[in-house]
Amino acid sequence: MSAEQRVADALDAFRHSLDNSGVIDGNAPDAVRYLHDWTGDYLGAACAVLRPKSVDEVQQIVRICSKYRLAIIPQGGNTGLVSGTVGNDAQGTIVLSLERLNRIRSIDPTNFTMRADAGVVLQSMKDAAENEDMLFPLALGAQGSCQIGGNVATNAGGINVLRYGMTRDLVLGLEAVLPDGSLWQGMTGLRKDNRGYDFKQLLIGSEGSLGIITGVEVKLFPRPANVETAYLGAESFESAMRLFGMARRICSDLLTAFEVIGSECIAMAKLGNPDTRPPLEGDWPVHIIMELGCSAAIDGRVLIETLLAEAFEAGLLGDGTIAQSRAQARAFWAIREDLVEGQAKRGRHVRTDLSVRLSDVPRMIDSCRQAIASDWPGWQPLAYGHAGDGNIHFNVLPPHDMPTEEIAAATPRVLASLYDIVRDLGGSFSAEHGVGRSRRDVYWDWLTPESRQLMKAIKSAFDPQGMMNPGGLMPD
Amino acid sequence: MKVLVPVKRVVDANVKVRVKGDGSGVELANVKMAMNPFDEIAVEEAIRLKDAGKVEEIIVVSIGPAQAQETLRTALAMGADRAILVKTDETAEPLGVAKVLKGVVDAEKPGLVILGKQAIDDDANQTGQMLAALLGWAQGTFASKVEINGDKAKVTREVDGGLQTIDLKMPAIVTVDLRLNQPRYASLPNIMKAKKKPLDEKSAADFGADLKPRLKVVKTEEPGGRKAGVKVKDVAELVSSLKSAGVI
Repeated sequence: MSAEQRVADALDAFRHSLDNSGVIDGNAPDAVRYLHDWTGDYLGAACAVLRPKSVDEVQQIVRICSKYRLAIIPQGGNTGLVSGTVGNDAQGTIVLSLERLNRIRSIDPTNFTMRADAGVVLQSMKDAAENEDMLFPLALGAQGSCQIGGNVATNAGGINVLRYGMTRDLVLGLEAVLPDGSLWQGMTGLRKDNRGYDFKQLLIGSEGSLGIITGVEVKLFPRPANVETAYLGAESFESAMRLFGMARRICSDLLTAFEVIGSECIAMAKLGNPDTRPPLEGDWPVHIIMELGCSAAIDGRVLIETLLAEAFEAGLLGDGTIAQSRAQARAFWAIREDLVEGQAKRGRHVRTDLSVRLSDVPRMIDSCRQAIASDWPGWQPLAYGHAGDGNIHFNVLPPHDMPTEEIAAATPRVLASLYDIVRDLGGSFSAEHGVGRSRRDVYWDWLTPESRQLMKAIKSAFDPQGMMNPGGLMPD
Repeated sequence: MKVLVPVKRVVDANVKVRVKGDGSGVELANVKMAMNPFDEIAVEEAIRLKDAGKVEEIIVVSIGPAQAQETLRTALAMGADRAILVKTDETAEPLGVAKVLKGVVDAEKPGLVILGKQAIDDDANQTGQMLAALLGWAQGTFASKVEINGDKAKVTREVDGGLQTIDLKMPAIVTVDLRLNQPRYASLPNIMKAKKKPLDEKSAADFGADLKPRLKVVKTEEPGGRKAGVKVKDVAELVSSLKSAGVI
């Protein structure tokens, strides 16, 4: 049977199993948004985009793919940054979008959990939790369009990791369709369960390489009634990290976010939104957004004022303000969001997502800045990120007039020099964005032989045919 | 000249308000509170007038529960000089508040009272006007621009269909609208300094007024949900359904 015939037969079988809008031909204009990655840097290819409406339909698709030897790229909101769902095999791959599995199944206020289909948009989960006076703490820039299944499959991070952990820490149950079409059930909702291997933890962060997550059960938390947000200016990243330690102690570990922004990023925020105005007097090399959340019975304002008074005394802070309303707090956070917008407007650039031990954050930023200054004249570094998690997005903007091809050609070398610094510090080149395709080779390069062996064994135990997201996470 | 800025502690504008189970009002327990955003604009305007040398002292006054102190401290941190809390656990209604404010004006003798055009909790839009009537002062409501020249205040008002500029004889009442200014942030050093600024606690009786409710809330309910829309095939169907709905 020719490849064309095989694809045609498979498409017939899909159309038989799914409704009309469930099958989009890979060449159709409607398919483009599933094939493009969020950055717009890459356009992939697939023979079809499938949009099942039920777990049963997902199973049927997997069986058809297995029969016709088609690979499957599971996809959520398609907001990833590492080309995790961008395949390039127009004859042998389908994209399986979970977007129509979008029902919140149940909320259990006593168990503090929520069950949802994989395709529910993160913001909807957060809203549903809030309606029950609870909090689903996963929070990231893409929350209005990313989906919980994708968050779980990529072990997403975001701004509240500090208090509540990565997605890995928030999942109490999973349900996934395995590459043989069977349904693995693990929606336990148990907080304590130490029976043997924890398969859900293998699926979390597996980036679609082991199976298709169709349902999740996540932890909920009491909604903090009292949220205090401060915007601060500091002399250095060193002071910022010392302030963070002080904040954990004085604020009784109630911090939910501790973000740093190198002052060089403010120009990007202004590019993103010309009205951006940091609430600081004078120029401070490091801006900090700090937030804490607690119940109404705790006076968060007293905690944060005590902290900031002491930090001033100790010379860790130059200037700052505490939000007097949620509107002011939103304006602080808008600066953080605007700087991301500004970079996107600036066009193609080098993005990283580095993490090191908290004690190494200032050293890492210094070394990266030095490396760019000495080896990449005209390139402009930007350092900002989740300092409380040791996670810095150290991005580098190319010179203004550089042609895109030249930027693309230089990118791997810029990355290599930054990654060398992080590797020497025992850090990670991927704190929260994942591996996908764009970082697969560096991932594999850093892995020890023992880890590679285990990776291969786990992959073949779940997916002996190698049909799940080939090209992602591990070499073909 | 002294300027008096009444400020109200209200549910934060970005909080989703919930109706109490018994319909007696909205849920206030465990809800984030903040200064009424219009009053924030009034405080900012007073500070700008002081910066411009038109005003010597800014007094902020709030009528509300003990926690309204926080709202006053915010105003002090922004730049007000001293504060008066008229403590009450009654629901503050416009007429009661206006009567207390009249007492405060009689005691403090400000040349200008500047306040929000309305509070975002009850949206009454009455206090400033009632106070003007009780004092027999000139009033400029919905101000988007305020200029003080000697004993005259020139106020640009946002009215339906445009702007109206009026001259007021001082002393006067000005209620402010959204476009007047962009309030400043309270800087950390100023937040600390504000703790040491004077804040007097008083009662309504101290000003010869009472705050007992003059209104009775019969029922509080959420607005009805929006009805689901319908999809029409073409313009003809749109027109005919608009006709049958009596819209055109």
